[in-house]
Amino acid sequence: MDLDPAVQTFAAESRELLGNMEEALLRLEADSGEKDDINAVFRAAHTIKGSAGLFGFDGIVSFTHKVEHLLDRLRDGAMGLDADCVALLLACCDHIGALIEDAVSGRPLSAELAATWRVLHEKLEGYLGPSAKPQPQAGASEAAPLPAGQPQEPNSAAADWHISLRFGREVLRNGMDPLAFLRYLATVGDIVHLTTITDALPHAEEMDPEACYLGFEISLKSQADKAAIESVFEFVREDCAIRILPPRSKLSEYIALIEELPENTMRLGDILVKSGALTQAELDRSLRQQTAEAAQAPASVADGAPPRPLGEILVQEGRVAQSVVHAALDKQQQVREHKAQENRFIRVEADKLDQLINLVGELVIAGAGTHLLAQRAGLGDVLESASTLSRLLEEVRNNALGLRMVQIGATFQKFQRVVRDVSRDLGKDIELVITGGDTELDKSVVEQIGDPLMHLVRNAMDHGIEPHDVRLAAGKPARARLMLHAYHDSGSIVIEVSDDGGGLKRDKILKKARERGLVGEGQSLTDAEVHRLIFEPGFSTADQVSNLSGRGVGMDVVKRNIEALRGTVELTSRESVGTTVRIRLPLTLAIIDGFLVGVGPARYVIPLEMVLECVELSPAERQACMGEGYVNLRGQVLPYLRVRALFDLQGQAGSRESIVVVQYGGRKIGLVVDTLHGEFQTVIKPLGPLFRRLRGFSGFTILGTGEVALILDVPGLIQTVATKDAHGGSSAAHAVAASAGVGSDAA
Amino acid sequence: MQIDVQTVGAAGRVRIAGEMTIYSASDLKPKLLGALADCRELEISAAEVTEMDTAGVQLLLLAKQEAARAGKTLRLAAPSPAVQDVLACYRLAADLDSPRTGRAEPASEPITTRPGA
Amino acid sequence: METVMQPERTAEAELVGEEQQQYLTFHLGKETFAIGILGVKEIIEYGALTAVPMMPECVRGVINLRGRVVPVVDLSARFGRALTEPGRRTCIVIVEAQAAGEHRDIGIVVDAVNQVIEIPPADIEPAPSFGANLQGDFIQGMGKVEGRFVIMLNIARVLSIDEMAQLGQPVDATVAAGA
Repeated sequence: MDLDPAVQTFAAESRELLGNMEEALLRLEADSGEKDDINAVFRAAHTIKGSAGLFGFDGIVSFTHKVEHLLDRLRDGAMGLDADCVALLLACCDHIGALIEDAVSGRPLSAELAATWRVLHEKLEGYLGPSAKPQPQAGASEAAPLPAGQPQEPNSAAADWHISLRFGREVLRNGMDPLAFLRYLATVGDIVHLTTITDALPHAEEMDPEACYLGFEISLKSQADKAAIESVFEFVREDCAIRILPPRSKLSEYIALIEELPENTMRLGDILVKSGALTQAELDRSLRQQTAEAAQAPASVADGAPPRPLGEILVQEGRVAQSVVHAALDKQQQVREHKAQENRFIRVEADKLDQLINLVGELVIAGAGTHLLAQRAGLGDVLESASTLSRLLEEVRNNALGLRMVQIGATFQKFQRVVRDVSRDLGKDIELVITGGDTELDKSVVEQIGDPLMHLVRNAMDHGIEPHDVRLAAGKPARARLMLHAYHDSGSIVIEVSDDGGGLKRDKILKKARERGLVGEGQSLTDAEVHRLIFEPGFSTADQVSNLSGRGVGMDVVKRNIEALRGTVELTSRESVGTTVRIRLPLTLAIIDGFLVGVGPARYVIPLEMVLECVELSPAERQACMGEGYVNLRGQVLPYLRVRALFDLQGQAGSRESIVVVQYGGRKIGLVVDTLHGEFQTVIKPLGPLFRRLRGFSGFTILGTGEVALILDVPGLIQTVATKDAHGGSSAAHAVAASAGVGSDAA
Repeated sequence: MQIDVQTVGAAGRVRIAGEMTIYSASDLKPKLLGALADCRELEISAAEVTEMDTAGVQLLLLAKQEAARAGKTLRLAAPSPAVQDVLACYRLAADLDSPRTGRAEPASEPITTRPGA
Repeated sequence: METVMQPERTAEAELVGEEQQQYLTFHLGKETFAIGILGVKEIIEYGALTAVPMMPECVRGVINLRGRVVPVVDLSARFGRALTEPGRRTCIVIVEAQAAGEHRDIGIVVDAVNQVIEIPPADIEPAPSFGANLQGDFIQGMGKVEGRFVIMLNIARVLSIDEMAQLGQPVDATVAAGA
């Protein structure tokens, strides 16, 4: 059997669970946590432990078990949760994650991990206090140890253990028989109760007579310790899910066991009986009572009132504690919900999705080609059919792209932990506020936005937010706010990282820029220009360097990363009020609606979402705007670029020229071209390494004719003009661009 | 392993002799299910079963499950000590509707029905 | 754009592996060049090129190769000579080049594709230190074929994407606005 895909699934699910665990812990720490959160943490740990056990990742099982133990105490209220405890649990969370990555990749335990393990283990022991031995280095001395009332486990007398076994399919074929283990178990203690679980037995036609489908729930009266009982199953450990509950286990452990049991269809009563919380006799009596009550109250049944649920009767009778019943009911509920969810979701490999998107892309091109041919041939009915096809294709395209859309919330949530850890390191009190987490964007964009966001968040905490005393002195609340906000805006997604810190110090930046020769003496810059300096390569003011951002990555890298995603980044800041960095990204990287224009024989594509209008230039206007750089558009002054001159294209403009007005990020410019060819859908192909230094274009596309056309990089061109616009020729920004070297034309 | 099937009207009897283990399970499964398919009531006579393991028990459980699904009756008759021992260990005697429940008894039960050959 | 010729890879050529012996020869001007057959993916008719502005002269443009955008390099211009004048026999040879550890297809424009020949290692002489009228490290060796020499190209070096990318020019917006 190939375990690999299963192990990958285990890893993926565990990562998700660890993520949930972390979130819940952070909520608990922030005091906004509820009882549910600690339960969520417990469940996550427990599920990971259970799954890890199935794969024989014993290390994960034993460590997680320890963690679970602590969680259990917290859940029972036997211990209070303090900040140190949360910190420890977070560290454990990380450690489990590391163990899982190691186990999944098949690496042996690294020395580093082993060391972490020891430290965490000691700390956990410190909390749990398994023995009277003091743990001076446990770092948890001030934490509440066990309450005095906690009963010490007496090991002397024989007591009832609960053992839950689920044998693997291959056990029999591997020459082992569960019978032998049960007989051996009988030598360790007295099997008081045993239930054979046959739920896994499939229908006749699917049943493999040589496979094992059995499981067992066992009560064992024994003086033996856990290790001795475990050793009974030594030889089958890898082929069998084994869970052993010590005598007098708390209800919570039974609850955990119920949650862990693989059987889906078990009735509540069975579950209780099988996990030993209730005997068959007690169940039978309760069942009889349920039936009797139903019989006594025929009227209520006739009214449609359901008979009292079994769980309620059991609790009332005092046979099981309310919490055990809840857990069992939860289990039934979960099984149902899980089944419902399985029907609603399918896990699909990302590669398959990409393949689909690529194919849809090709289809879009082919569709555009058909449309073009029909148009040229002047075939009315074919054209009509091609139009229908195009419309459907557009729907298919949107649906296909929708498959890749994911919410940005998960990415944002990861920063809760970052903010918590870093603010501690810095000794600052920072609250992270997340809004617009349900905003969707393309998966590939989400994957690549993490690093730039990380840098911006750290930057804001490190440099943006002032130290505690400075804030107080400035009359600001001691607790600083860092905000992550996302929203959609005209075909783009906008992500804002803002803080209520000190803002950029204009003077300091200018001074630095002058020192470095980026800005000439006596030049005056607007605030926006000063802020743009931050994005210059290697630019940082002297006291901005700290251990946190000393990672050799500056804002210029952030900017480059964002631009690689066809996005832009801008910064607004007010001294002593705060800073906002605004990232604008396309919703998808794969397909755009394009507007095709011609300059001589060359064809260029402008992303349609950025096109405002197209105006044919009258001869007078052409004359007027020759060599001016501005055109008067209905009384509005519009800067423009001549595409022919911009790209040094040969040939002269024809008798007519048009101006395409484009807009991006609140700025407008005109692009002068020879001809307009209308809209069409287009697949974006990346420029590739040979053209990586090429400016003014954001990618290639294939036209309906099969020809390749270049996509104009409108944001880049607008930036170019805006920079020039502000300085009219020999400007500071030009000096900036020049000194920064080739390629920073958009600075 | 030897298996004989006899059907009288709606009632069938299966006599299994020899071992009911993983080595014979693949052979036994279709025969047992076939016998069950042909009748409304089936009695499995296990008096001559000399050895039984988990694979054998699973086949009995499977037959029981299929019978229940089809609304038929299945009864285990006169389990041999070997069978009783296993059923006792798994606490399945009651589930399989054997007339003798409880602990294994040393003496083998008289065989109530003995189909021909 | 039809595939004119798909070089056959014989079992022998596959087996030879690193000590490849089969070469594709082609004409460029009056000279004959050879490149290892293993790096050649296909040969297509010249045409349907889209020019890319602001790129060095040797980058003729890009073509659509079954949905993929493949850059095309004018080999003659890359050798510092005049651009190839497209003629009836002009072809684009699609070869595999490396960029940042990734395989990338690049087309090269040649005057005419000649044949696939075998050049045993014994018939290969080191590149001459002078007189080849070609940047020295572009030449892998000189192959002796029927008493004449063909220039065996170090195609990885010739088509160094990093080097060619460096030759690009940035856009200057001031020109475009005519200011």
